[in-house]
Amino acid sequence: MKAGLPRGVDATLRRLLPGDLAEPIAGDLLEEYLDAVARRGTVRALVWVWWQAIRLAAIFRWERASHGRGVPPIAEELRRVTSMWDGLRQDVVFSVRLLRREPGFASVALLALALGIGGSTAIFSVVDAALWRPLPYARADRIMSLAEQRPREGRWFGPIAPADFFDWRRDNQSFTALAAYTSHPLGNPLAYNLTGTGDPERVRVLEASPAFLGILGISPIVGRDFRPEEETVGRHRVALLADSLWRRRFGADPSIVGRPISFDGAAYEVIGLLPARLWWPGAPEVIVPLALSDSDRALRDAHFLEAIGRLRDGVSEQQARDDLRLIGVRLAAAFPAENARHAPNVRTLRDALVGDVRTALLILLGAVVFVMLIACANVATLLLARAAGRQRELSVRRAVGATRGRVVQQMLTESVVIALAGGAAGLLLAAWCLAAFRAIVPAQFAGLPGIAGVALDGRALVAALALSTITGLAFGVVPALTVTDQRLGSSLTDEGRGGTGGARAGRLRSTLVVAELALSLVLLAGAALLIVSFRNLMSVPPGFQPSRIVTAQVTVPASRYTDHTRTTAFFDALYERLRAAPGVERVAATTSLPFAGADSRLAFQIENRTADSPTPVRVHPRLVSPGYFSTMGIPVVRGRAFTDHDDASSVEVVVINEAAARRYWPGEDPIGQRISLGTPGRWRQIVGIVGDTRHEGLDADTDPAAYLPQHQRLTNLGTGFERAMTIVVRTDADPAAMTAAVRGAVASLDAQVPIGMVRAMTDLIDESVAPRRLDFMLVSAFASVALVLTAAGLYGVMAYVVAQRTREIGVRMALGATRAQVLALMFRQAGALTAVGVALGVGGALVLTRAMRTLLFGVSAADPVVFASVSSLLIVVAAAAVAVPSSRATRIDPLAALRE
Amino acid sequence: MAAADVATLGEFEHVVLLAILRLGDQAYAVTIRDEILERTGRDVSRGSIYITLDRLETKGYLRSRLADPTPERGGRAKRYYTLRPRAVDALKESRRALVALWRGLEGVLA
Repeated sequence: MKAGLPRGVDATLRRLLPGDLAEPIAGDLLEEYLDAVARRGTVRALVWVWWQAIRLAAIFRWERASHGRGVPPIAEELRRVTSMWDGLRQDVVFSVRLLRREPGFASVALLALALGIGGSTAIFSVVDAALWRPLPYARADRIMSLAEQRPREGRWFGPIAPADFFDWRRDNQSFTALAAYTSHPLGNPLAYNLTGTGDPERVRVLEASPAFLGILGISPIVGRDFRPEEETVGRHRVALLADSLWRRRFGADPSIVGRPISFDGAAYEVIGLLPARLWWPGAPEVIVPLALSDSDRALRDAHFLEAIGRLRDGVSEQQARDDLRLIGVRLAAAFPAENARHAPNVRTLRDALVGDVRTALLILLGAVVFVMLIACANVATLLLARAAGRQRELSVRRAVGATRGRVVQQMLTESVVIALAGGAAGLLLAAWCLAAFRAIVPAQFAGLPGIAGVALDGRALVAALALSTITGLAFGVVPALTVTDQRLGSSLTDEGRGGTGGARAGRLRSTLVVAELALSLVLLAGAALLIVSFRNLMSVPPGFQPSRIVTAQVTVPASRYTDHTRTTAFFDALYERLRAAPGVERVAATTSLPFAGADSRLAFQIENRTADSPTPVRVHPRLVSPGYFSTMGIPVVRGRAFTDHDDASSVEVVVINEAAARRYWPGEDPIGQRISLGTPGRWRQIVGIVGDTRHEGLDADTDPAAYLPQHQRLTNLGTGFERAMTIVVRTDADPAAMTAAVRGAVASLDAQVPIGMVRAMTDLIDESVAPRRLDFMLVSAFASVALVLTAAGLYGVMAYVVAQRTREIGVRMALGATRAQVLALMFRQAGALTAVGVALGVGGALVLTRAMRTLLFGVSAADPVVFASVSSLLIVVAAAAVAVPSSRATRIDPLAALRE
Repeated sequence: MAAADVATLGEFEHVVLLAILRLGDQAYAVTIRDEILERTGRDVSRGSIYITLDRLETKGYLRSRLADPTPERGGRAKRYYTLRPRAVDALKESRRALVALWRGLEGVLA
């Protein structure tokens, strides 16, 4: 290679440096450049030599010029660059001055852009955190979430049976490790009673296989991780504390490691502390090994585990799926009764965590981008009108020698200045929105990665800056090109005569308004569909009377409440005490409260019926106390409810809901029939049918359920099932007062039993619809902004048209046109624009709202009533926006107009 | 003007002049910078070297000559600097002034 400076460096030095210095300095730099290439590599040397060349050139020109000595004249092309730079500075100063002179225009444009950019940035931050940013684990894309699918029931990612998990773990070839953890809904996490120092409290626990942290690539900051043998019962009493619990409860004392703490009355040794950056849905405060008894490990018909695994190097997601599918086929052949209807399924951990929220988030992002586009179109129409008003100024500039490029540059600078100012205001708005969002993160979003700490960061700032600049150019370039594309002479003369600013500019204005109308209509349709869905949802009867019901979870520790008798005795005593509390009408309890998370399902047999049913015979088993149905207000449709006589000594009974009756006894009377839940051959008689309740949400199906009396224990529902009851109290007192009453009653029976949050049933229902409420409120807010912006845009265009056609209208009126005729003329023009905009909008909305189908409830994505209403709304708003300038047109004095 | 110049030799100008003096007939920007780095540990920017050389030449302290172009520099000449007598006078004057001021202060800084 011939020794030489990089292209450009040499030329730069020669052009910018005084001739007597350029030569030796270039030589010196080359010497050092070659040295740098040898020592630091070509790329770094290149960066270095450019930096040196530019610095030296700048220093020398400054130095010599400031001492009054000659600097070489700069070559023509560089002069253009520098003069453009100088021009840009001038343009910026000029633009700012212009904007300050036109506060009305400036504030409307700023507001539109701030709303557009601010909204987009805020939603972008949320979407970025939840969907795009890598999960906070080592090589997170290699972590998979495992589940069992039931294709016949349309369930693709359900919990796993323990025996299946252990078979997958043993037989798979695709994962370096698999770890299971117990499945719990976010709103109702697994919790242990932490006792010992201080008040007893409920702490959120994650029970996970020892390999769990290793799969995530996380190790304890102090102490050690779990050992493989610690998943066996008896060795499992070890715990890892999360940073939050360690600081809150143990005062950040590192010597806690190695000491015992008491969970549910049993001593656990703290073996390590987890890093503060460890994130997992539900924010567990303690991780303990998932230790299943031998009988639990053998379960194939109880599904309560979730699992993650890390792919081996070189194994793809699809290969892992195929691998597990084969294992599933083998298990289905070996255990047809339990495994014939389900199979393993694999997806990335990210997909598992984000799940259905993805659609809602992307809809929000789409909606806010629409607002952004409308804001751009709006500002562009404003700029067009303004540019037309400045025709004379622009023509004069051209006449005195400014090139078209120079004028376009000046106009673009103005639009970018507006956009950047709008962007700055938008960032403030976005920061405020995000602070508000963090304060009210809805439960459905709480399990998303990065949501709790979502904030404006570098990526959002870059996105906002890019968005501002691009929008500035986008809404600036068309008006700039349009208004400068006129022959000099004609625009100088045109202006005096009051034309409408050229046919092209007119067409452009119309296009922009039509675009705004169409985009608004899409947003309005989306918002209306969500509002109607929400209204439909709220009118769904939950199947019980939620008002005046207060709930509280009470869990007795397994260490002391070892048998069923002792547990039920505690609860019976608790009901008695609560009934005596002031304001309490009725008291009952259940193992699975509606709207407090999903509950598991159990297969059952119907007496005298072959097991070969086309649909799976499964119910939700729910243990309830006598009086539960009357307390909740669940109607008994047939037969009877439980009484105090349904106890361990009487015949075993069960009450089913209408959904179970419809599905498993179509056209038959189930009362008196017998079913067997769990234990084969142990029959329970159906004594009653109760109404269906919505359990997992107002939009969820009412699944078949079987209610069992609390005093007749079901043996194989998993350990601890009946020790965690939710008390329901029908009362006139408010929940705050009930908190004290429940706490007092529990403490008087056993001071070591903590209670969970005391919640009003109506609050639980509200929370279950909070994500939908947030969706529809945000989209409605965006749609309102869009409507206002569109109205402002239409108003601006018509006001401009009226101003430009004053003279024409004057002539018409002088020749005898009535006010009504003038008004009709204006409305015809606006009406045509609106009609086209609405038509395009309806077409676009019909296509786009299909993407929201999963978010809708009880309304079709193409609901004609919704579309007709939003179209009418838009037309009315458009008419109002046009009415003001048009009525001004009718008041034109023909004489004054003609004299102009 | 000239007398004032002698009295107001800047500190960095002083350093650069001494470096050139030390380098004899091998003084050009790159070697001057290296010499300063080696003797004083100061890593000065190229810009300030060139500026100072330019300024000193303008003030009449330095004389420069372009050497014949050499192939290893891509055929570009080096600009060598040598001191004019004025510079030697200014250095002597600077040294004298500094030594006079330092006299008796050795104990303070020892």
